[in-house]
Amino acid sequence: MSAVKKSASSLAPTAGPLGRLWHAIWADWDLMQLAISVLLVVAIGFAPLVIRSPYYLGILILAVLYAYVGISWNIVAGFAGQLLIAHIIFIALGAYTTVVLYTRFDVMPWIGIPASGVVAAGLGLVIALITLRYGLKADYFALFTIALMVALKTLFLKWEFVGAAVGMGLRLNEPSWEKMIFSTKEPYLYIGLALLLAGILVQFWIYRSKLGKYFLALREDEAAAAALGVNTSLYKTLALLIGSAMGGIGGGYYMMYVTFVEPPQVFDLGLNVELVLAAPIIGGLGSLLGPVLGALINKPLAELIRGTLTAGRSGTTLIVYGAFLVISILFMPRGITGLIQDGYQRLKRRRAPERDEEVRRGNA
Amino acid sequence: MLEVQGIVKQFGGLTAVNDFSLSLDRGDIVGLIGPNGAGKTTAFNVIAGFYRPNAGRVHFGGRDITGLRPDQICKLGLARTFQVVRPFGALSVLENVMIGAYARTNDKATAKAKAEEALEALGMTDLAERAARDLPIAGRKRLEIARALATEPQLLLLDETMAGLRSAETDEVIEMVRKLSQRGIAILLVEHVMKVVMSLAQRIVVLHHGEKIAEGQPSEIVRDRQVIDAYLGEVESDAAR
Ligand SMILES: Nc1ncnc2c1ncn2[C@@H]1O[C@H](COP(=O)(O)OP(=O)(O)OP(=O)(O)O)[C@@H](O)[C@H]1O
Ligand SMILES: [Mg+2]
Repeated sequence: MSAVKKSASSLAPTAGPLGRLWHAIWADWDLMQLAISVLLVVAIGFAPLVIRSPYYLGILILAVLYAYVGISWNIVAGFAGQLLIAHIIFIALGAYTTVVLYTRFDVMPWIGIPASGVVAAGLGLVIALITLRYGLKADYFALFTIALMVALKTLFLKWEFVGAAVGMGLRLNEPSWEKMIFSTKEPYLYIGLALLLAGILVQFWIYRSKLGKYFLALREDEAAAAALGVNTSLYKTLALLIGSAMGGIGGGYYMMYVTFVEPPQVFDLGLNVELVLAAPIIGGLGSLLGPVLGALINKPLAELIRGTLTAGRSGTTLIVYGAFLVISILFMPRGITGLIQDGYQRLKRRRAPERDEEVRRGNA
Repeated sequence: MLEVQGIVKQFGGLTAVNDFSLSLDRGDIVGLIGPNGAGKTTAFNVIAGFYRPNAGRVHFGGRDITGLRPDQICKLGLARTFQVVRPFGALSVLENVMIGAYARTNDKATAKAKAEEALEALGMTDLAERAARDLPIAGRKRLEIARALATEPQLLLLDETMAGLRSAETDEVIEMVRKLSQRGIAILLVEHVMKVVMSLAQRIVVLHHGEKIAEGQPSEIVRDRQVIDAYLGEVESDAAR
């Protein structure tokens, strides 16, 4: 509250550049979400100063990955409203692409990870074309992606070139930046944070541009969108391409961090829920802040449940975890971000309304 | 500008529109009337590309647009509103209209300016920041028009946009439609409120069971025996209710 009052009085023409920046952000909920996201990234960047335990750093690294992957799914499902349930297939394909390139072709991950994005986008394109060709509606589209996951799992289990049922691992020799192999956790954290920051900025840019508004129009009402000149097939395809490319890149990074991949591990609905769906849903699907906030709560929570409550019995973990998800969907349909937004708007309304008007005009 | 030639639309065994033809020129205001279920909305859906006709062609601006997608037809300058309104509920009124404006530009500032212009024309400037789902029905009807207008159409299909409006509001929209037509925009208007059709349309087309049973100036239509039997009698009894 006190911060708010102070800034309200600093709206005088003499307000410094920082004051003006704060006002621009305060007046605009999208910018607020961007600012909070970036601050969280910076805060996590300083975390190694206090968190020394590799175990806790490991949780943080995965939370960062979940946030990034959550963003990639948020763009497809939250913005464009496409029920791409088994998004994990792109992460899986990305992980396999990176490890195959690395072990079979000596391609370094700095190239392998972007290549994973391209390969995953290829699958995204195929899915989009099939969906459009057969006019799959939302629920059938969701089922189709799950069926595809099962089919890919079977394929990868049989496919010798990618290690079949044994899976594939990185040859762990000398740590080196070139090979993105490190003996400590910190470098993984910073690479993950760079990825997350890029994801946050891409998501923000999309949300504010024509592309993002067309995605939202698709989600809200396809027929109305078409009537207003939105090529619905094209924009559905674009949403899928962006989401799958980002997912594939996340998968490549995931591979470098976990160093091993096998079909039952990655083509798995349980991992899909934890790694892809949970963060945006808990945080607020379709919002800008949701995936980041959700991941920072989801990952430590999943770990806590796994570690303490159920002492490693995986079935119980899923039940407790699933119950938490269901409860958060029922009681926070707009996620944590929704709660924060309500608070933000209440605060904003308490300030002089004409001032707000001025600020908005000034920044329009 | 618009040339509809003998379109037929069937749903299973039901022929909703049968051999319907119509032509419109720049700045025309044509009223399309008929009892409930006559096929008016279906005709709109065929013209705007939402349904492919079983027979017949639609030409617009000298081009055959039969079979084109709705978004392509919109880009050619033919916009429609929905009888059952379809706002993008979670988006603000301004964003709703901006999505229309984006049909002509990729630039956000330009789209915003165009959208504000359209909102101004509909007297909705004050509502710009409101969520579309919070608008009362009259506001949603106007939003339909504002969005369509923002796509910069040469022909506007209005499907009962004045149903449910209060009399003063109706007068405002009538005034607005007149201004649009003075700017050269052609308007095809479905409306049950006879006062609206009579005061706006230079020409009226009457549909009944999917077929055109009359076409002419308003003064001729009100005297047409067939039209009175099929439709106007019903409207009068509606009014008496
Ligand atoms: N998608 C559809 N599938 C099947 N039948 C339909 C469909 N759309 C319309 N119809 C039928 O076609 C006929 C014409 O309907 P339409 O909505 O075009 O009438 P209308 O003149 O717009 O009526 P109203 O004044 O009530 O809006 C009706 O019998 C209706 O039930
Ligand atoms: Mg109708």
